[in-house]
Amino acid sequence: MNYRVIHKTVYEYSGPVGLCHNEARLKPREIPNQKCLNTEIEIEPFPTDYLERLDFFGNRIDYFSIQQPHEKLIITATSEVSISPQQNLFEFGNDLVWEGVRDRLRKDLAPEILKALQYTLDSPMITVNEALAAYGQTSFQPGQPLIASVRDLMHRIYTDFTYDPEFTTIATPLAEVLEHRRGVCQDFAHLAIACIRAQGLAARYVSGYLETLPPPGKKKLVGSDASHAWFSVYLPDNGWFDFDPTNNKMPTNQHITVAWGRDFSDVTPLKGVAFGGGKHKLNVSVDVSKISG
Amino acid sequence: MESTDSQKQSKIQNGIGVQHYATQLGTFDEMHAKEGQLLPHWKYLMEAFDRLGSEGIERRRKDAERLLRETGVTYNVYDDPRGTSNPWQLDPIPLLISSEEWLSIERGLIQRVELLDLILADLYGPQELIKKGLLPMELVYSHLGFLRACTDIPKPPYHHLIIHSSNLARGPDGRMWVLDDRTQAPSGAGYALENRTVMMRILPSLFRDTQVHRLAVFFRGLRSGLANIAPQNKEDPHIVVLTPGPLNETYFEQAYLAAYLGYTLVQGDDLTVRDGKVWLKSLQGLQQVDVILRRLDDTFCDPLELRSDSRLGVPGLLEAARLGNVAIANPIGSSILENPGLLAFLPAIARHFLGQDLKLPSVATWWCGQSREREFVLNNLDQMVIKSINRTAGSHAIFGANLSQDERRDLSARIHAKPHLYVGQQQVSFSTAPSYVEGQVEPRHAILRTFQVARDRDYVVMPGGLTRIAPQKGTFVVSNQAGGVSKDTWVLASEPEKQVSLWLQPQRGQRIEPLAGPLPSRSAENLFWVGRYAERAEASARLMRTVLQKLQESREFHDPNDLACLRSLLPALTHLTGAYPGFTGEDAKEKLEDPKEELTSLALDLTRDGSLSFTLQSFARGAFSVRDLWSSTTWQMVDKIQQKWRHTQEPQKIGFGRLEDNLNRLIINLLAFSGLTTESMVRETGWLLLDIGRRTERALCTIALIRATLVPRHEEVVENQLMEAVLTTSESVITFRRRYRAFMQLPTVLELLLLDEKHPRALAYQLHKLQQHIQVLPREQSLHRLNPQERLILETYTDLRLTDVLSLLEDSEEGIYHKLDAFLSQLTDQLWQLSDVITQTYFSHAQTSQLGEPSKVEEEL
Repeated sequence: MNYRVIHKTVYEYSGPVGLCHNEARLKPREIPNQKCLNTEIEIEPFPTDYLERLDFFGNRIDYFSIQQPHEKLIITATSEVSISPQQNLFEFGNDLVWEGVRDRLRKDLAPEILKALQYTLDSPMITVNEALAAYGQTSFQPGQPLIASVRDLMHRIYTDFTYDPEFTTIATPLAEVLEHRRGVCQDFAHLAIACIRAQGLAARYVSGYLETLPPPGKKKLVGSDASHAWFSVYLPDNGWFDFDPTNNKMPTNQHITVAWGRDFSDVTPLKGVAFGGGKHKLNVSVDVSKISG
Repeated sequence: MESTDSQKQSKIQNGIGVQHYATQLGTFDEMHAKEGQLLPHWKYLMEAFDRLGSEGIERRRKDAERLLRETGVTYNVYDDPRGTSNPWQLDPIPLLISSEEWLSIERGLIQRVELLDLILADLYGPQELIKKGLLPMELVYSHLGFLRACTDIPKPPYHHLIIHSSNLARGPDGRMWVLDDRTQAPSGAGYALENRTVMMRILPSLFRDTQVHRLAVFFRGLRSGLANIAPQNKEDPHIVVLTPGPLNETYFEQAYLAAYLGYTLVQGDDLTVRDGKVWLKSLQGLQQVDVILRRLDDTFCDPLELRSDSRLGVPGLLEAARLGNVAIANPIGSSILENPGLLAFLPAIARHFLGQDLKLPSVATWWCGQSREREFVLNNLDQMVIKSINRTAGSHAIFGANLSQDERRDLSARIHAKPHLYVGQQQVSFSTAPSYVEGQVEPRHAILRTFQVARDRDYVVMPGGLTRIAPQKGTFVVSNQAGGVSKDTWVLASEPEKQVSLWLQPQRGQRIEPLAGPLPSRSAENLFWVGRYAERAEASARLMRTVLQKLQESREFHDPNDLACLRSLLPALTHLTGAYPGFTGEDAKEKLEDPKEELTSLALDLTRDGSLSFTLQSFARGAFSVRDLWSSTTWQMVDKIQQKWRHTQEPQKIGFGRLEDNLNRLIINLLAFSGLTTESMVRETGWLLLDIGRRTERALCTIALIRATLVPRHEEVVENQLMEAVLTTSESVITFRRRYRAFMQLPTVLELLLLDEKHPRALAYQLHKLQQHIQVLPREQSLHRLNPQERLILETYTDLRLTDVLSLLEDSEEGIYHKLDAFLSQLTDQLWQLSDVITQTYFSHAQTSQLGEPSKVEEEL
């Protein structure tokens, strides 16, 4: 399946900004089942410095700065990707028991395993505590396969929690999300990751997009899509497997992966520091559309 | 040798009790090998102290205290004058280390810093240590000092770790142990230098005769080490010291080091990243920075990539470092080494990297991330200090022996939940050193902080360091916050050592460009305000003195004209200080009748804008934030002005006689300050701005004084008195008499105070100086066109010169000289405009940064 994603961010300032420095993680990663056909970022006004590199987690990151005074900053990322269905869990590996995975992560010094081990630790936005561990515990029964346990956890989050964009902000701690059983995709991904890490397993945060379909018979509105987030779990010898707790499904070919990290703080799509500017207004729109490939 | 009874008696009275020095059982003492037996290298020193006697030592301790205060070591303008700040204390008895022992300590320290350097390179590079199982991944990745944004920053040619500091202590068996390491922005080297400077002044001959190693070798090493890592311009790199600012507890040290090494002291706001390079925003425009010696903690350095709430850092700094356009010492991310868990693995890593055992052992440490070690720690909790691997605000060392049953259970549960975040360390006792405490020499537990620096290929150890002792007997709490006491550390040389110069020798044929003292815009602004506040303080003090004298006269002679005169002078004080409503408000009548309370408040109320105390505090704060730019004598004067004014008067008790004395002294001190700056500052932009501030303020104060006193019309006899008061206040009586003899007339008074270009108190003189200064300030535009500030001063000055005093006094109506008032009012406006234009042109760094908030991920379903 091929998609085109247009992610447009507009900052409007009440006064002139004399200088700004920014970091964008908007370009999709190359992964086995996702090919990035084309991706570019257009910045207005034209940046003085512009550099692309890979960050610690291998995400594509663009640094740019603008040194001319401006009152409006527009960043448009346009990407085309081709996704082939993968995640073929039913062939092999799917019966690895979670306790076995947990112990192997700590014994094996293989590079792949060492790399995964970092995702068992607390991260800036995810600190495991007793309450989070207790919530997740139910899904990790002794002797169960890892994939089945995580699937159960995903299902429980989907049924126990209400999707409510009014309830949380970016700073809402996980404890509150758990207590009120409300949140958005980012909270659900963080919650699931916390539960999995509490068992000594490796889980990471994935940011990207998901195509949304208009109600039957209605035309899709431009800019009605948004960024999405889900999580991924590590299975030795098999790699990483994605789960989308907001939609209770394992992504196949509708999820477009942009970046991953320990939690949201590692993959913030766009951040910057501006000098001057007074108050600012922010407007983000995302369009995901199928294209022929 | 026998001594007579009377001799004995006097010896005990003035003795310092060396013979009663009681060491503790089971504790190693620096001065005694065995009980009662002085180690040979202490002999000479202790005999000398014994000869000095308690009086002699006490006198030197007091001298040290004074010297430290005058240099500003103990200065903290932000604290309540009698409040909680703990002055830096220096024990006159140094810690002695014999030359043989120092050799082995030095070897151990060099091995340690080389090892830590290799570990730093590995953790931000290939991570072999983790891959080979020599360091657990969790220990590194859970540490808040492991900054993932710093893995791709190019490394300097030889070493990554440029400065390293260790805390050493001696165990009961006499061996030296390393307690911990400081690697991100080690502090203390400047204090060690300052302690040494003071010791050499209070005990010059003792220092000379003892043959002590000099510290300069370390600072020379630091200078060449920093020049070495410059990515460009290596021969003469532009190096800055990045400070968190005057609120930081070690700001003094940062300013002191910057001045000593000849580097520019900057705050985050003074730097900007453009074109991937770091620039200093200076009055001369942007100047590229090659090397940053930072005193800012890792995560505060760049709000773009690290802590976004940091207001102290430089956005884009990491990107500039990544591009290799600036070198930072120590590299950002080096706090990864400030991890107590590392200590458990150092011996194995030393064997791996160096094929050697550790020459200086670390304090015994067990990392709880390993099950066997964890059990050991929990089973021996009584002998353990439990620490988090991350030194954060909430975390502190827990002494296992002090815990109750419940606390033990609680701690044990916490360790079991996240074992990799904890270490257990053996609770160590450390040695005592002879210290001078209340007239006696007594043993106090001591810690030595050492400093290592990468010169180029090799490391240099400071021969000495900062020794700190626990203020109370028998305790181990040694910290500056807890009111600790410090000592100089004397490493004995086997032969006298030549003094090493700090000055670098240029290479043959190298031409050193005189750096026109790049002045950060922030410093420039501070200097401008220091000038203004100093002048405002002086003008206020002068007028206040005149008022007090007048009050005195009116009480003695009961002349109604004196009272009439005071009714003008008191409001003039309000206008001049700007402390409204004061003598001009609705309740002015009562205040004019009994001015004591209002006058005392104007003089001493620190909380009141415009009061003398407030102005002097603003003056001192401004001066403190550019501490590195003053000569030591000038700074002593800043300190003296503040100290004498604030610490010697109680607002409730002060009488007018006392206040007048204090005002006299204050005026003299302020004049001394202005004389010192005039005589010791190079006529570069810094001085120009200080003087522009001073001249602007003097012009404004003179106008304010004249407007409040001489613009309204008075009876002749009152007017005469007022003219005399104004002349006295502006120190112009003598000049006036010489020039106009005894004929006191308003036109001649105004002529002298407004138009005389040769009189340093006259308005014309101030404007003339302003014009000269403004012309030589750095400028962007071509020389043929006037810039706004030149235009303004030219216009103002010309207006003044074209004025005819007599015509200003024509057509007076409603009891005031209407034309004179309008003219002076217009000059005031012009001067304020000028001040604004200068601010915009030269201090516009003030633009604050804001963060583009990351948006919450939302989706439509």
